[in-house]
Amino acid sequence: MLSAGVAAVAAGLAPLRKLGEVGSVDEFLQKYYKELTPEEMKKVLARIEDEVQRQYGVRPHVRDYKPMNGVEFVYTLNLTRCVGCRKCVYACVAENNQSRNPEIQYIRVLKLPNDGTFDMDKADHNYQPKSVPEAGFFYMPVQCHQCKNPPCVKVCPVKATWQEDDGITVVDYNWCIGCRYCEAACPYFARRFNFTTPSIPQDQINTNMSYLGNRPRYKGVMEKCHFCTQRTRAGLYPACVEACPTGSRQFGNILDPKSSVSYILKHKRVYVLKAELGTLPRFFYYFDV
Amino acid sequence: MTPNRNTTIVLALLALVYASLAFSFVLVPARPGFIKRAPLVAQDTLDFAPGTIRVSASQLIHGGGDASGLDCYACHHQESPPVITYDADHQIVLPKEHTDLIISMRNCAECHPPDDPVKLDYDAAGVVVVPKGHEGLLRMAHGRNNACFNCHDREQLNQLHTPEGVKLTFEQATLLCASCHGTTYRDWQAGAHGRTGGHWLRFAGPFDRQECTSCHDPHAPRFTGLIPLPGPHLLHPLPKGVANPPPPTTD
Repeated sequence: MLSAGVAAVAAGLAPLRKLGEVGSVDEFLQKYYKELTPEEMKKVLARIEDEVQRQYGVRPHVRDYKPMNGVEFVYTLNLTRCVGCRKCVYACVAENNQSRNPEIQYIRVLKLPNDGTFDMDKADHNYQPKSVPEAGFFYMPVQCHQCKNPPCVKVCPVKATWQEDDGITVVDYNWCIGCRYCEAACPYFARRFNFTTPSIPQDQINTNMSYLGNRPRYKGVMEKCHFCTQRTRAGLYPACVEACPTGSRQFGNILDPKSSVSYILKHKRVYVLKAELGTLPRFFYYFDV
Repeated sequence: MTPNRNTTIVLALLALVYASLAFSFVLVPARPGFIKRAPLVAQDTLDFAPGTIRVSASQLIHGGGDASGLDCYACHHQESPPVITYDADHQIVLPKEHTDLIISMRNCAECHPPDDPVKLDYDAAGVVVVPKGHEGLLRMAHGRNNACFNCHDREQLNQLHTPEGVKLTFEQATLLCASCHGTTYRDWQAGAHGRTGGHWLRFAGPFDRQECTSCHDPHAPRFTGLIPLPGPHLLHPLPKGVANPPPPTTD
């Protein structure tokens, strides 16, 4: 009787063995990002490298890039030049190890009629003509605006997302509980949720990873554009800037008066999306006049 | 005080309900295939190659364009032509090192070396007579600036000059463009116009800067159209004419 009971319990618990996605004890006991000492961080990064190698078969180099002193990132986008080719979207996917299937993309390019109305209800993101740009339309790529007053950070119940000193709002994928409040709070549709374990072909993994940036995400966590922390905090341009064939996209340090973004903010008539919400984006659009 | 008989029954029932819930949670595994896997979008590394927008061989060939006008012999020697391989779709397979190569369709220097300048013929009205076989070789679409000698020297075509008469070489073409497009040149100098790459932190490493003619064809500066990469799909409405994927199976 007792042995039959034990066997039944064992059979009942058998499906638990298939729950391979449940993390390790170390992962479960990991401390909050801001409380980690450098030694603990080193162990965490090594553990994540092991995890990625086990899952994807590629040994990555995961680092924890910190913000630089005297740097505040600003992004500008020239809507006169943007042709809507979506190269930025795919450069971003490749750089940031986003799930290919189901598809997760940080940048959404909107096609808007050039009729002076600027009516978002007329926007179309499924356009697929033979050739872009199409006459009578302009294209507006939208991604995370890295707001100075971010509504997504305010609503996070566990402080898994916060704004760093260089203006980048980041997510700790190990701390996120996947409640998706931030997704609802964001007025720009900048945040994406991993409904399932991301799938990335092994040969397309970008092994240059950062803890708060492009390391592979877990099932059930939020992710978002982080201005390519693994690139920009090393002094490089983000992948979307590099990919833009028309030079519509510009990026730089607004605290440097000689930077291109300082020039654009001084000389162009820039505007922000949904300024009335008071989110104070660091992402500026403008038209060449 | 002894607990009420009804309370005991309710508590026992509740415990039973929760126990069965916990048991069923363990028994019923997560449904595989709940989120429908869609076929992968063909991702071509050429899609975000760091080349410029000016017609490159890869763009032209992979965009289904006519590659017959491409001037391979600007670099390759006529006597030892490159070995061309084709894929299953009879498309030319481009070597990796050619990914960002810009192959001009109008390389005058191929036939006219700089030490053998072209002699031009003029008709009665003073307009250059296009020699036989040269028709359609050059597409002029530069707005009102459609006369050769606005920019080229009358005697030596590989010599440029501004409207003010300042003589410039081909390498200094950006200054020639600046003589008319001053505001754009100002933006370019400040880093606000043109394709950007490399390091935003200037002392950390090199910074990519393109000259005007790396992206614009001076004879037809307006960009030709690009083929847009596929739009978003799966969890969002699909474009018209595309069938929805079948609903997820719930085995």
